[in-house]
Amino acid sequence: MHNPNSRTVTSHLGSQSAGQSRRTFLRSTGLLGTGLAGSGLSLALPFLESLCNESRASGASNTKSKPPVRTAFIYFPNGVWENDWVPQEEGKGYALSPSLSPIEPLRDSVTVLSGLDKKNSHGGDGHYAKTANFLTGMPVVKTTGRDVSSGGISIDQFFAQNWRGQTPLSSLELGTEPVISGIDSNVGYTRLYGSHISWQSAQRPVAKEINPRVVYERLFGKKNSTGEGQGGKRALLLDYIMEDAKDVRRRLGRDDQFKMDEFLDSVRAVEERIEYAAAHPDRDESFRPDSEVAQSLPKGVPSDFRDHIRLMLDLMVLAFQSDSTRVCSLMFANDVSGRNFSFIDGVKGGHHELSHHENNAEKIAQYQKINRWHVEQFANFLTKLRSIQEGDSNLLDNSMIVFGSSMSDGNRHDPDNLPILLGGKGGGSIQSGQHIRLQGEVPLCNLYLTLLNRVGITTDSFGDSNGQIESL
Amino acid sequence: MQADFWSICKSHCWILAAAGCCLSATRAYCQDEELLRKWGKTYEEKVLPILQSKCYSCHSGEKIEGELDLTKFPDATSAIAAADAWERLAKRVRLNEMPPQGSPGLSDPEKGTLHRWVDSRPGADLCNQIASEETQAWYQGAVMSRRLTRFEFRRAIEDLTGYLLPEDQTPPSDGAGGIGFDTVGDALFTSPIHIEAYLDAAEKSAEHFARELYRSNADPRKDSTVPAEQYAFAKDTIKSFAKRAWRRPIEPIQLERLERFLSFDETHGSQPNSQEESITRIGQEQGLSLAIQAILASPNFLFVVEEPSTDSHGPSEKERGGVQRLSQHQFATRFALLIWSSIPDDELLDLADQGRLMEPEVIRDQLQRMLADPRALALGENFGLQWLGLTDLIRQQPDAEVFPEFNKDRLRDFQEEVVRTVSGVFREARPLTELLVSDRILVNRSLAAHYGLNEQALAAPEFQNADHWGWLPTVQTHRGGIITSAAVLTRTSYPRRSSPVLRGRWILEEILGAKVPPPPPGVPALEDVPSEPGSELTLKERLSRHRTDAQCASCHDRMDPLGFGLENFNAIGQWRSEEFGKPIDAQGVLPSGDTFSGAEGLKEVLLKRRDEFEKHAIRKLVGFAFGRDLNKFDQCVQDRALQRLRSENRADVILEEILLSYPFQHRYYPGK
Repeated sequence: MHNPNSRTVTSHLGSQSAGQSRRTFLRSTGLLGTGLAGSGLSLALPFLESLCNESRASGASNTKSKPPVRTAFIYFPNGVWENDWVPQEEGKGYALSPSLSPIEPLRDSVTVLSGLDKKNSHGGDGHYAKTANFLTGMPVVKTTGRDVSSGGISIDQFFAQNWRGQTPLSSLELGTEPVISGIDSNVGYTRLYGSHISWQSAQRPVAKEINPRVVYERLFGKKNSTGEGQGGKRALLLDYIMEDAKDVRRRLGRDDQFKMDEFLDSVRAVEERIEYAAAHPDRDESFRPDSEVAQSLPKGVPSDFRDHIRLMLDLMVLAFQSDSTRVCSLMFANDVSGRNFSFIDGVKGGHHELSHHENNAEKIAQYQKINRWHVEQFANFLTKLRSIQEGDSNLLDNSMIVFGSSMSDGNRHDPDNLPILLGGKGGGSIQSGQHIRLQGEVPLCNLYLTLLNRVGITTDSFGDSNGQIESL
Repeated sequence: MQADFWSICKSHCWILAAAGCCLSATRAYCQDEELLRKWGKTYEEKVLPILQSKCYSCHSGEKIEGELDLTKFPDATSAIAAADAWERLAKRVRLNEMPPQGSPGLSDPEKGTLHRWVDSRPGADLCNQIASEETQAWYQGAVMSRRLTRFEFRRAIEDLTGYLLPEDQTPPSDGAGGIGFDTVGDALFTSPIHIEAYLDAAEKSAEHFARELYRSNADPRKDSTVPAEQYAFAKDTIKSFAKRAWRRPIEPIQLERLERFLSFDETHGSQPNSQEESITRIGQEQGLSLAIQAILASPNFLFVVEEPSTDSHGPSEKERGGVQRLSQHQFATRFALLIWSSIPDDELLDLADQGRLMEPEVIRDQLQRMLADPRALALGENFGLQWLGLTDLIRQQPDAEVFPEFNKDRLRDFQEEVVRTVSGVFREARPLTELLVSDRILVNRSLAAHYGLNEQALAAPEFQNADHWGWLPTVQTHRGGIITSAAVLTRTSYPRRSSPVLRGRWILEEILGAKVPPPPPGVPALEDVPSEPGSELTLKERLSRHRTDAQCASCHDRMDPLGFGLENFNAIGQWRSEEFGKPIDAQGVLPSGDTFSGAEGLKEVLLKRRDEFEKHAIRKLVGFAFGRDLNKFDQCVQDRALQRLRSENRADVILEEILLSYPFQHRYYPGK
């Protein structure tokens, strides 16, 4: 029997009218249909302060609250050519390096960090032991499958857990390539390590979505967000699955129960989303972007990598703008990606191949162009965030976007002096616009710890951190 | 006694050797004896002192505990003759039962010495055991009740509902574990986006199924005006559907829960309170679709649930865990996943119901029946592509500037050739070596054109159909087998050029099962850059520098020459006789001194090494089937498969040996 205590699946059916009226209001004020330059996606809504208040309604204070801080972690593979990346000078007045020149128009909102290190990646293999712990900072277990571990929870998931329940989705994990299949029997690692930066726990990588249309449906499709419109079918099915999973779990042996726990947790996460919708009945319809958005998305994975990246970044903007989630991770590509970058003028060949430049000037020049292209995409993303007003500030001001790679020079595979950029001001908590050069093997996790504390998640350590970055 | 064997063996061997006819069987036998002698020596030197200092106080003299008198084993000969005493002893030690509390106890190094010694016993019978906490020190886990892989899920949904999920409705991709396959439960994770994808897929396919059923099924009850008859029809449908989807008979209580969906009412949004209400509110197609969705979204479908048996052993056994033979229905699922990458069909389930499926003769018959079924193409598409590293071939990006006429859709044809060729050796009982050398190739029209076989292909009328795949002779084509397939040649190339290094490495790793370590850290890679028109050196000349440095040469001497043999094929696998105006030099010199020329020569070299190839292919297939890393207990099935492959020279015997093997039919459940 349907458990009467779990939730009432039809109770919020009546909410539609409120959503409709809000939408009508927005259309009349001309707020709908604000275009994103060159994106092909047209955005429906700027962030609304009133809704922001509402989403924090549980707080005691009724005073005008600030927009929430959003955070994203963007990874690109195969490192960078350091000489053209790290700026010479430090502080506010630094001159941008050739690879970083695309951030010129945004330099006040960006922080360049150099000298950060991931000491737990110094052993192990060239790639896998560096990618999987990009956001955990902890040692990656060398294994071809048994006891897979990234050493700890990743920073994006840590944020998500702390902010759980404040948005429909606690986090969004995106990528452009399927999980790399196979194992590397020579170095003794499963290649799935090279495909995951988000880890719900040390033992559980979070699958990433690579199809922009599916991401859009997740964010704005009615089915997943409310479970209604279907007469509560989805909620009913989830109840049923949950019960079945518990039953199966009881019957299984010890080792097998872990896998069923994982399944149960994931079902619960989908349920929470529906519960969120029930608790916030008037937000769904009003936050829906124009239907043109959906129509502009290709059915499958875009064949042109540039389109693919642009769509994924646009979807992140939409997710943040609509406050569907406050945490995103994005892998531009899996590690060791051999993607052909010949679409860039002057580049001939695959990414990984060129990253092994062997100090050959011609290859370095091409490698650097690829690096710079990545920074351009980052800059485009930040520009879009900045174009969205939120009260007196903008979405970029209220964000913390970490952008980087898990190694420095792709030819040497060193996990020190990592190329890391930070976009946004964290709601005013970050001194952006400077180049911070850190000395003496400062853990990358010190940055993560600093970000946590700046937005009020007070904690003493994260990963292998040994302090905070005060100058940030 | 054993020592005598050794001396006899030695002299025997010496005589044979002197006569110039030391047979390999005898040599192997002598090697075994040599190993046994070493094993005995280790006992005297390392194990005996431990026993004397830590165990003799109880297990010697007048009052002997546990009927174990260790003084009966004073030397190597007696230790070797002791049969299974050591296994039992090691088991007690592993379980921390011995030495008992309050006695001197064994240190970790001492335990390690003891276990290593017991585990290393040569010639022990491992054929009827699997790894468990009792049989292996530092037990590393067993196969688990994993979820279906993305590939299996898609196949199973299609088999059940007739609905082929489009790519964008399929769950996220999977990684791999064990020896490189996604069938390893350790490497399969479930995230919220999986659940969402499962629900969406269930909805789409269930709607399709219900629609087709109500349109085409001949059962008169479905259109009956009597609600009870309609209801009975729907109920029968979900009962048989659930049995098929969950691969076992459905318990009444499970069916009862599913039935509630039948009468789900959209407008009321709640479930009925009584049977009568169910019948009057029958939702027909819609209700059935919802019940089917529940079946498909249930972990009973999504997971390969291998629960410990409780009927024959009782709950206390379950608490303790242990090795159990699979149930008939569990076996049916493993069987179908291996051959079809999908769920069992009615015939397999019927045999399981009758309790006959695990009879060797039935297994053999069913294997042949299943191989003949088109679903067995999955052996190529799932096992084959993963083994050969070709799953992501369609993501390969030959450079448009270098290959302006190349159409990326052709990559699907490339892949299809390998899928059909690999599954073909099993399905048609061909020699496994046909994957190395063959006098025919499988092509469709577009692939024939790619291979420059237009005239031949067009001569046969059936190739007029673009979807037709057929065999063509390989005479003078340099093709045949998978190494010279466009799929492999493209996969082992960079976007703009072929790479003898990648190709050589691919052959070593995927065909011969060798390991090629990455370049040592700190050693700058040698230049491996493309020769552009006008440059002085050909690629081959540049690569020759790999061998001027001993550190590089140790690996590149093995890799590069193999790759040179394939230099007549460009980065999309087409034949070429020159590059940048210079004739291709496809000569290779192997470390052994063997020289060969071109693809034909290379294949001859590989055929001479067929032993390595066959062993490797068998190991891969066993790893795929078992869904975990392999251990010493899995050697037996590999040996048997190799033996039969040699005598019968047909690839399907490998599958047969796997299906009949102890590890495939058993499972270990760790204690609670």
